Amino acid sequence: MYWEPEIEQLPLARLQQLQLERLHKTIECAGRSPFYQQQFASGGVAVEQLRHIDDIRSLPFTTKDDLRSHFPYGFLADPKDGPVRLHCSSGTTGNPTVIFHNQHDLASWANLVARSLYCAGVRPTDVFQNICGYGLFTGGLGFQYGAEHLGALVIPAAAGNSRRQIKLMQDFATTAVHTIPSYLLRLHSVFTELGIDPRRDTDLRLFVIGAEPHSEGQRRRIEELFGVSAYNSYGLSEMNGPGVAFECQQQNGLHIWEDCFVVEIIDQETLEPLPDGEFGELVLTTLDRQAMPLLRYRTRDLTRILPEPCPCGRTHRRLDRITGRSDDMLILKGCNIFPMQIEKVLMRFAEVGSDYLIVVENRNGSDEMQIQVEVQKEWFTGNMEALENLSRKISHEVRDEILVTPAICLVEPGSLPKSEGKAVRVQDLRKPQESV
Amino acid sequence: MIAHQVSVFLENKPGRLEKITAVLKEQQLNIRAMTLSTSTAGWGILNLLADQPERACQVLTAAGHPAALREIVVVKMTDAPGTLHDMLLLLAKAGLNVQNAYGTVLGDQRSAILVIDVEDAESVQQIFSEAGVETLSTEQVYRI
Repeated sequence: MYWEPEIEQLPLARLQQLQLERLHKTIECAGRSPFYQQQFASGGVAVEQLRHIDDIRSLPFTTKDDLRSHFPYGFLADPKDGPVRLHCSSGTTGNPTVIFHNQHDLASWANLVARSLYCAGVRPTDVFQNICGYGLFTGGLGFQYGAEHLGALVIPAAAGNSRRQIKLMQDFATTAVHTIPSYLLRLHSVFTELGIDPRRDTDLRLFVIGAEPHSEGQRRRIEELFGVSAYNSYGLSEMNGPGVAFECQQQNGLHIWEDCFVVEIIDQETLEPLPDGEFGELVLTTLDRQAMPLLRYRTRDLTRILPEPCPCGRTHRRLDRITGRSDDMLILKGCNIFPMQIEKVLMRFAEVGSDYLIVVENRNGSDEMQIQVEVQKEWFTGNMEALENLSRKISHEVRDEILVTPAICLVEPGSLPKSEGKAVRVQDLRKPQESV
Repeated sequence: MIAHQVSVFLENKPGRLEKITAVLKEQQLNIRAMTLSTSTAGWGILNLLADQPERACQVLTAAGHPAALREIVVVKMTDAPGTLHDMLLLLAKAGLNVQNAYGTVLGDQRSAILVIDVEDAESVQQIFSEAGVETLSTEQVYRI
């Protein structure tokens, strides 16, 4: 049931000792990069004074802006045992960020992904279809090498072309799939169009979903539609990509691999560390990366550490579901709102689809929210009053959750904007559009 | 037998109605009468009296439109003052709510029909027949 029984069940004290040893090595390694060299020189980091893993708090944070402003080579630490691959963000909102890996890093990453997939229940006998962008995006190659390392048969299906995806599933009897949750809902409608029942006509048994925030309701809907178990994956390109934290069979929180990452949760305002159980920003430090170590990297993802031990026996602590990214937060009439809160409410209504679009605009000096949701063909009865009541009910329940009353706008199925890859969830028309 | 109309959900935007009529044209389906009810929130429901409602509903659904069959009662109107009033009074007395109603003039240009969309078409049919109001049979409705 474990990929690496000894490491996954390492007692806390020994895990922390391992972290400390690796942190020392990581700092030494980081000191060879132009960015950290400069930072250490001005701040003075004394490795010998780091005697407990909690002493990591004496180190400064690294931010996304640091990565951007030192693009492209400012964080590269190890020109000697040279980098062999890079992954790069799209750079839609400014300078892209780039992460370098040497051969050791790639092997370590593949092992973490294999450990994660095994933890969710993927086995060497599985046929694993990886439906996501290959190339610069880390989900493609990350899962490819991880699932191969685990020993599964991997189909590098890449993104898009739903009919072909379904054909691959049928031709090779795919049992496990990795993709983003919004795509699975779209894929299901193609199954329906083709008259194929994924529950009956495929061998699918397990999904790995991630890279896109989604609610528990969304996960349950996916599981229900396909008759499979869906496990959450968490990763970010700055920390390799997938394989940072993963759900086990309990489907209750994501084990974060503490032998390879130091986990901290901080208060976004005071930047002070928060105890387990409290929500804040996730801060991560790499412990097994040589080409480009990152120290106390502020992920901007909001979550908390689940304080209780997991019944699965793994000692690595669990992250709660990511509630949102600090950048996704909308401030409306003085209320802090995360799209995930709204999705959670929408999932209670079977009459509307899983896609939605939140539009925020300023009308006559007042910020107004409109939520567009798609009417589900199966639930449409032709009764106008029923639809008007439905809109009112959704509006009330959303207001109870976010304290702002939205206008609910029912739209035709399939009419909401779809982007290549991740679903478009928010349009904030108050801000000037950022240049691409 | 109860007759049916086809109700279709659509957004109140340019070109949306045409998308629906295009599907019906392609399938050679004939529209006898129609109404469009719009909400204030930018959407509406199109009610169609078609010659083949089941098929119309099926092809519209297949084309991605939320469409449903709704029971209707179709009454032949006599050309005399107060006919409509007397008829509606019957429904009001029975506590039956009319969701929607629309009329059309028949081919002979002298008589008209009224299509009534109610939640319980069977009861309405019965009330009308007991009161001597003439309703059209399913075959008559689809052959108007």
